[in-house]
Amino acid sequence: MAFVPGQPVTAVVERIEIQKLFQGENLILGFSIGGGIDQDPGQNPFSEDKADKGIYVTRISPGGPADVAGLRIGDKIMQVNGWDMTMVTHDHARKKLTKKSEHVVRLLVTRKSLEEVVKHSMGRP
Amino acid sequence: MPTDKYSNMEEKLWILEDLNMMYIRQIALSLQDSDIQKKIDHEIRMRDGACKLLAACSQRDQALEAAKSLQTCSTRIMAYMSELQRMKEAQVMQNIPRRSSDVGPMDDRLPCKGKVAISDLRIPLMWKDTEYFKNKGELHRCAVFCLLHLGGEIFDTDMVIVDRTLTDICFDNPIIFSDAGPGFQLHVELYSCCFEEDYSTGSTPRKLASKLSSSLGRSAGKKLRAAMESGPGSPVSNGGASPLLLPVPSVQGPKYHLLAHTTLSLSHVQDSFRTHDLTISGNEECSYWLPLYGSMCCRLVAQPNCMTQRMMSGWLKVRQCGGDPQSWSKVFAVLKGTSLFCYHRQEDVETNIEPVFTIGINKETRIRASDKDPHSKAQNICISNQYGGEEVTHTLTTESREDTHGWMEAFWQHFYDMSQWRQCCDDVMKIELPSPRKPAPITPKQGSLYHEMVIESSDDLSSTVSDILAQRMQELELRSQLGTSPTWMSLFEENLPKSAGFTRQCTPRLSGLSPSSPRATHQSPLSSQRSPQLGLLSSDASLTSDSDSHCSSPRSHHYGWPEPSSNLSLLSSSPSRLRPRTLSLDAKLSTLRGKGYGGTFQCPCQPPPSSLLAPLPMSSRPPRSPRGAQTTLSCSSSTSSNSSSNSEGNHSPESSEGVSFSRPSPVRRSLRNLRARLDPRNWLQSQV
Repeated sequence: MAFVPGQPVTAVVERIEIQKLFQGENLILGFSIGGGIDQDPGQNPFSEDKADKGIYVTRISPGGPADVAGLRIGDKIMQVNGWDMTMVTHDHARKKLTKKSEHVVRLLVTRKSLEEVVKHSMGRP
Repeated sequence: MPTDKYSNMEEKLWILEDLNMMYIRQIALSLQDSDIQKKIDHEIRMRDGACKLLAACSQRDQALEAAKSLQTCSTRIMAYMSELQRMKEAQVMQNIPRRSSDVGPMDDRLPCKGKVAISDLRIPLMWKDTEYFKNKGELHRCAVFCLLHLGGEIFDTDMVIVDRTLTDICFDNPIIFSDAGPGFQLHVELYSCCFEEDYSTGSTPRKLASKLSSSLGRSAGKKLRAAMESGPGSPVSNGGASPLLLPVPSVQGPKYHLLAHTTLSLSHVQDSFRTHDLTISGNEECSYWLPLYGSMCCRLVAQPNCMTQRMMSGWLKVRQCGGDPQSWSKVFAVLKGTSLFCYHRQEDVETNIEPVFTIGINKETRIRASDKDPHSKAQNICISNQYGGEEVTHTLTTESREDTHGWMEAFWQHFYDMSQWRQCCDDVMKIELPSPRKPAPITPKQGSLYHEMVIESSDDLSSTVSDILAQRMQELELRSQLGTSPTWMSLFEENLPKSAGFTRQCTPRLSGLSPSSPRATHQSPLSSQRSPQLGLLSSDASLTSDSDSHCSSPRSHHYGWPEPSSNLSLLSSSPSRLRPRTLSLDAKLSTLRGKGYGGTFQCPCQPPPSSLLAPLPMSSRPPRSPRGAQTTLSCSSSTSSNSSSNSEGNHSPESSEGVSFSRPSPVRRSLRNLRARLDPRNWLQSQV
């Protein structure tokens, strides 16, 4: 998932649609994110490329909306409802995920295993 | 009127200077050496130019550059003057008028000269975290540069503007001194100048300066400064040589002061980066003060001429001992570096063809002249080398006795050079050519210093991981004593298979849990019901929260966390020292994942809140009790600022990372969170 700055990023992504859950007066998704262009990428335990400043899923509350929707820990979030997440600050990402007006978030996430799955399904030449 | 007095003084000084110049010219003439005189003239012209530029320019950057050139020129002039004096003295002692360059054959052997290059100078700074995080209002900036002085050559580096967003002062360009002897002394001096708007507060202490600048008008302040700065006769940190001989004309503008200095010599030469100590002059009250860490890192290499140049060449006949006694091969031999290269033809040397064979000449080689061959008139030279236990001898012979003598001379000189230049003769050290100097590059605003530091310390995170967890264990132990028992503890008990078999009694230590107090290895025992394994972790780990604590190396009964080797001086030693390499954090995390944590290991750098290691999927969780002081251990290996930052970053960094889904409601928690979120060393995680 390393990228070269200036070159378009290509990745195999999975679409995940999460329905937000009401908890009291808050809408929650049930996972935690880490990363961002203002964060130190070296501390990210999930990224392969330690210079990757993308947004990663660091924790999933079991049984929560994200878990149910198929989000997995370690996933890198590429888009949220169409908004790019590969080059954003941490707070920006959080804001895009926690808009009160939106009850559904559609994420594009990528993980290493996806690439392998695709390779498998295409069969080894 | 004060101005009249000063102008009078200046006139007198100019007259003095002219007289001095005449004196210098006389000396130079008597020495019949015009080189130095030319150099002095050149430098004086440069200095005059710099003075004029300084007086004329209005921009700060130009003024600083001009002041830097002024400083360099002055230092050079002083150096040339002292050399001139020395030569004059030598001449007087010898009482023979001769050219200084005409050195007759001396009885003692002189070692060859060489090139010395210093590059990648880096001087770390030690900002207090309060300075770093406050980040408001006045940004105290200094302009710094280095003067490097070896023998008769003085070079200055580019000027760098330093403020508290910078962690190190870096001068990357290599500086090469040719013509240095093995006993060289390379003086490195760091000059700095306060980079304030108003130059009228040049050399006064900062507090006074701020008072002055706020209380006096600009013109009044300038006059005051002129009065305060002692008259033009002061040497102004010129290296202390005779002040009246070509004094520095006092110019309005920035003045550099010596901040730190050190001297490097042959023992510091190595083909890698090394750290050296700096002697710091000045104190916090000076306007030009910068909080230096006290050391300097650089790469100092030397290329003695015996390694790079051909010391001797000529035609020889070579025979390998043990071979055919008559198999002499005629070769053109070149003595260079650590070998004697033998070529078929003389032209081969130029055209870079591989030599026919090479005879090693190094410290272990033995060379002697022999009289074995009675037929030839010349003596033979035997060169013996040890190649892996075997001794190989080559015999050389030349056309005549003079040639043999010449070769022996060359070999002796070569050996002498190698003994003088010591470690530089093991291998040729590479010297980079300096790239063309850019005029005053704009340093891009650097990112947070901790971002860069943390990456370096990723190898040492292992220690802090264990430390953090150990500390958490203690806290949890305490809390479990008080009633709540986190269920995830069972995970540790199950998953960590080995037990070193220790069972200790748990003693709740209420006092020892704040991050700053526990220091040395505490024998904090754990109860036998609790996981004894992690008790081992804590028993030998020491917290890295103190600024001057040295982490004790966790002992061998750490497991599950592969222990880092030897000392983890995360905080103490200068950041440039190479620390013993440990397994990368990823490797450790992957081993942990393999142990069945379900790959849910959270980034350990992010200090988990009171409910610990929340990522582990669990059904029930301990109630989250609001803690007064949530401990945070930042994993970065920043230096002393770590300790104070601990008290600062004392909060859970994310909005509500934790067990329950509730958002933080109390205001004080959000304030704490805000400060923690702004701490750049924490890797933020937000719950959504």
